[in-house]
Amino acid sequence: MRERVAIVGVGYTSFRPLSPEVSFREMVFEAACRAYADAGLEPDRVGTFVAVSEDYLEGTSIFDEYVPDQLGAVLKPVQTICQDGITAIASAYLQLATGLFEVALVEGHAKASNVLYPAHIEAFAMDPVFVRPLGLNPRFVAGLEMRSFLAQTGNTEEQVALVVAKNKANALKNPLAAYPALVTAEDVLASRPVATPVKELDIAPFADGAVVLILARESVARTLKSQPVYIRGIGWMQDTPNLDQRDWSQASYAELAGRMAYRQAGIRDPKEEICFAEVDDTFSYKELQHIEALGLARCGEAGVLLSEGYFLPDGPLPVNVSGGSLGNGYLYDASGLRSVLEVVLQLRGQAGERQLPDVRVGLAQSWRGIPTASGGVIILSNE
Amino acid sequence: MLVGKIDRVGRIRTLHGDMGVWHKYTFGLAGERFFRALAEKGVLLATRCETCRKTYLPPKIYCPTCFAELTVWVELPPRGYVETYTFLYEDLEENRLTEPVAVAFVTFPGVEGGIIHRLGEVRPEEVCSGLEVEAVLAAERSGGLQDILYFRPSRE
Ligand SMILES: [Zn+2]
Repeated sequence: MRERVAIVGVGYTSFRPLSPEVSFREMVFEAACRAYADAGLEPDRVGTFVAVSEDYLEGTSIFDEYVPDQLGAVLKPVQTICQDGITAIASAYLQLATGLFEVALVEGHAKASNVLYPAHIEAFAMDPVFVRPLGLNPRFVAGLEMRSFLAQTGNTEEQVALVVAKNKANALKNPLAAYPALVTAEDVLASRPVATPVKELDIAPFADGAVVLILARESVARTLKSQPVYIRGIGWMQDTPNLDQRDWSQASYAELAGRMAYRQAGIRDPKEEICFAEVDDTFSYKELQHIEALGLARCGEAGVLLSEGYFLPDGPLPVNVSGGSLGNGYLYDASGLRSVLEVVLQLRGQAGERQLPDVRVGLAQSWRGIPTASGGVIILSNE
Repeated sequence: MLVGKIDRVGRIRTLHGDMGVWHKYTFGLAGERFFRALAEKGVLLATRCETCRKTYLPPKIYCPTCFAELTVWVELPPRGYVETYTFLYEDLEENRLTEPVAVAFVTFPGVEGGIIHRLGEVRPEEVCSGLEVEAVLAAERSGGLQDILYFRPSRE
C-alpha cells in the first residue's frame, strides 16, 4: 500500500483588485511565510517545489527562473509547469509518492493587475491559422459555449444568474475575497452584454494574490503540528486545443478528471459522498456545467437544484461557499489553488464565519480558462 | 463592482514594458492545400478517414480518432449550419464596440468540426442555431482565413 499524502500547510495573501505596493515576489513571500508557519516547517525541510505560471501572464519570458527566491527554493529541485494549480498539486503528489521526497511545496500567484490587455494573451493562444486572424476578443468562446450548454441541457440564463448572486453573497463571509456583493439575479441579467448570453456580471473579475500549499507524506505529516488533510484522489485532463473539434456543451475534461479522482478515492456516488465542493466559476455558467460534469447533479438538473437552494451553504451540497472566483476574483492558474485552500480550511474547521458543519470529504475542481479545455479535480478528506 | 480603497496609487512607481514578439506560422501540409483550394477554386476542403467514417474540418493529415494518416480529400457542400453563436461587444482592449460582432460556429452535414467565423448580411433577430448559411468569399484571394469575409444566410 502506497503511503498517503497530506496537505500540511497553507499560506495565502488576501485577494485584491490591485496590489500596487507589492511586487509578485513579495506577495509570494508573504504566502510562503504563512505556509511554513502553518505547517511548522522551515524551508530546508522541503525537498521539491512545484510552481505554476505562464510567461505571457507574468510579462517575463523564461519565467521559471524567477520562481525559487521568494519560496526558499534556491538550489533546490524546482519544477515550473504551465498548467492550472491542481495539476501542480498532482505533480507534487506524484513526486512524494515516488518516495524520493518527504515534503513538497506548491505555489501559484496572479498579478493580473499588471497585465494591461489580458484579452491579447488569450487571443495569442488561439490557432494562428484558423482562428486568430478573426481578431476577436476571446470571450466569444464563452458566448458560444454558454449558448450551447443552455440549449443542450435545458438550464436557463436565469439559473445561471443565480450562481453569481450565490457566490458573491457567499464571499461576504470570506475576509480574503475581492468582490463580495449582494446582487440579485435581476442585476446580473440586466448587466451589459459582453458575448451573448454572457453578461458583465457573469464574468469573474481579475484579482491579485498568491497561494502556497505544503504537502507531506503521511509519516511526516503525523509529526507536524497542523491537522493533516489527506489527498484521497486527484485527476487532471486535457481536451483538444482545437475549438472546432470540441463538444461545445460539455466539460469533458472535468468529467474525466473527476472520474480519475473518484476512482482513486473509491467514490461511487459523488452526489452522496462529497460533502461540499469548490468548482470553477470563471464564468457563471461554468459552475453549473462543472457541477453536472462532476456528477454532483444529473445533466440538466444543476440549475433547478441551484434555484431550490441545494448548493447554498446551508443546502445538502454547498458549492463555492468561499465565494468562488466570482466572489474572490479570478487568479489565473492560482484559482485552483485558492479552491483547494478553501477545502482545506473547511476540513480543518478553520473557515470562520462560513464554516460548514460536520464536513469530512471535499472536492476542488479547476479549469484553465479560455481557450483551454483542461483542468483538474482533487478529493480531500480530514480522515 | 466593489474595489478596495487605494490611497495615493499615483505615487507608486511602475515601469511599462512590452514584448516585441513576432512570429510566422507555416500552414502545414493540410492547411496549405485547404487555403490553396479556397484561394484558387473558392471551395472548402476536408480530409476523410475511411476507417472511422469521419470527415475532418479543418482538414488534418492524421485522424485524431484512430491516428491513421489521411489521404482522402473531399469538397464540402456549399451550405453549412450555425451550431452556436454569440454577439460580441468588446474588442481586444476591452473597448465597447459600437456594433456587436456576430460570431458563429458553422458546421457541415456529416463533417466533424467546422469553422468559426463572423456572420454578415443578417439581422440580429434572424440569427439562430440551425440557420443555414453560406460563405461569402473575397473577390481577391491570397490564401488565408481572410479569404472568407463572413457567412450569410444562404440564398436559393
Ligand atoms: Zn480514423
